Amino acid sequence: MSLERIFAVLQQEFYITARSVEVIVDLPFWSLITVVVFGFVTRFLASVMNPTVAQYLYLGTLMWEIIRVTQYSMSLGALWNVWSHNFSNMFITPLSMREYVVAQMISAAAKSLVLFAVVASIAAFLFDFNVLSMGLGTVGLGFVNLLWFAYSIGLFILGVILRLGTRIQALAWGLVLIFQPLTAAYYPLSVMPPVLQSVARAFPPTYVFEAARAGLGTPEINWDYAAIAAAENVVYFVLSVWFFDYMYRRSRQTGQFARNEE
Amino acid sequence: MDRISFSLSSGHILGLLGPNGAGKTTTIQMLVGITLPDGGAVRYFGQDLHRHREACLQRINFSSSYNMLQGRITVWENLLVFARLYRVARPERKISELGAYFGIAQLMGQRFLTLSAGQKTRVNLVKALLNDPEVVLMDEPTASLDPDIADRTLSLIESLRESRNLSIVYTSHQMDEVTRICDEVIFLDHGHIVAQDTPAGLTKRIKNAVVRVKFEGQQQEVSRSLQARFADVSLPAQNVVIVSTEEHLVPQAIFTIGNSGVQILDIDIRKPTLEDVFLQIARGNGHVT
Repeated sequence: MSLERIFAVLQQEFYITARSVEVIVDLPFWSLITVVVFGFVTRFLASVMNPTVAQYLYLGTLMWEIIRVTQYSMSLGALWNVWSHNFSNMFITPLSMREYVVAQMISAAAKSLVLFAVVASIAAFLFDFNVLSMGLGTVGLGFVNLLWFAYSIGLFILGVILRLGTRIQALAWGLVLIFQPLTAAYYPLSVMPPVLQSVARAFPPTYVFEAARAGLGTPEINWDYAAIAAAENVVYFVLSVWFFDYMYRRSRQTGQFARNEE
Repeated sequence: MDRISFSLSSGHILGLLGPNGAGKTTTIQMLVGITLPDGGAVRYFGQDLHRHREACLQRINFSSSYNMLQGRITVWENLLVFARLYRVARPERKISELGAYFGIAQLMGQRFLTLSAGQKTRVNLVKALLNDPEVVLMDEPTASLDPDIADRTLSLIESLRESRNLSIVYTSHQMDEVTRICDEVIFLDHGHIVAQDTPAGLTKRIKNAVVRVKFEGQQQEVSRSLQARFADVSLPAQNVVIVSTEEHLVPQAIFTIGNSGVQILDIDIRKPTLEDVFLQIARGNGHVT
């Protein structure tokens, strides 16, 4: 694995991000609008109901941005090159797919970290909601677990796109939304029906969101939840890497990899 | 693709020709590793491409009118990214040198998607030479270019072959291009090699040349004399005769017309071209022997 080639992909990511209005709208603009709109919604709800419960919605909104930005960056990073007929060009160089994916993971983590810091700061200064009130440890562990889950989803979607082509590219935006209701992002797990609670426990973000909500009242790290989320993430990540490798190989065997840009 | 096998010597240009769907682009895709063959091997410099992918791809490059660079970023940024992917030492200097050679220095600050087809081709050629490759694969590099730019691109390719001893695999639909620059040509049809030779060798396999003669005098006498010696004679207009015959019999045909008591006004001889070979294959005549 070459650090120089990983850096080259990161450099391209930086250029695309800086020069694409679409990326600017999809990432910082969307995040800023979200934090402001839900900030006001939370302020209103806090005035008519239990303020802590109202904050659940805002907390879920802010933390969901980590998943959205990371997964978007992972999946869309490749599509920008596919749409430009440049993706296969990059793999005619010595660049390996592993180097490319590692670069996308670094890029996604950087974007996610910067945007989460920005929206969290806006929430703190404009809406008096400090995510650090649940404890730096809970925020840090939650960030890493959500990041890793989004990596797995991003890799899965990228594998499907490489194998089936851009006709299913809408998955790059839409698929992750399936997990929003299933991971109890905005409400306690206990409000879900028992069957869906069992489903929710199969996904790492559920434990992150539960721990974060609990942390608003008691800023202590829930090590059990962090460990379960991490263990599930390991399983999902291993499966997604295997799936991605399989889809990438099949894509090249069938010629789809080259046809994606036709 | 089925049992495709060929080799390329240093400094040679090998043309891949064939009708649409023959397998030219698929062959190129397998040669650069983005499509995997289900059998056989691709070797560069004695090394298997799939086992020594990094080492092989470091020494080859690719240019196509269909593969573009990232459209949203500038030419300079694109070339810098590719130079780093090839781990080029002092990439800025390399890009500047090649940019000056190909006359694209003034385009460096422009976004790639704003360039004309000819400018994109030249930028693609700069990209294809960033790593000082020993082999370049070119998939229809002059497609969508106007004749003047296409001619200049071909001249650049010829000078690159001379100055760098480049080996090139070249696909095109333009027979005159292939005749001009290729040392050897492979005709593909439905994934098979149906002919492989030098351009001159391939055209020699088409036996018939066409002679069109305009004359003044008795048409019946010309027709009778020719039909006594040649099987394919036609008179498409008054005082015009066309004879299709083997190339070495062309002088005899003209001599026969001259001896028929007519005055020859104009002679047009059309020798077989690579296009005739192409048409023979494309129209399903299969192997050109």
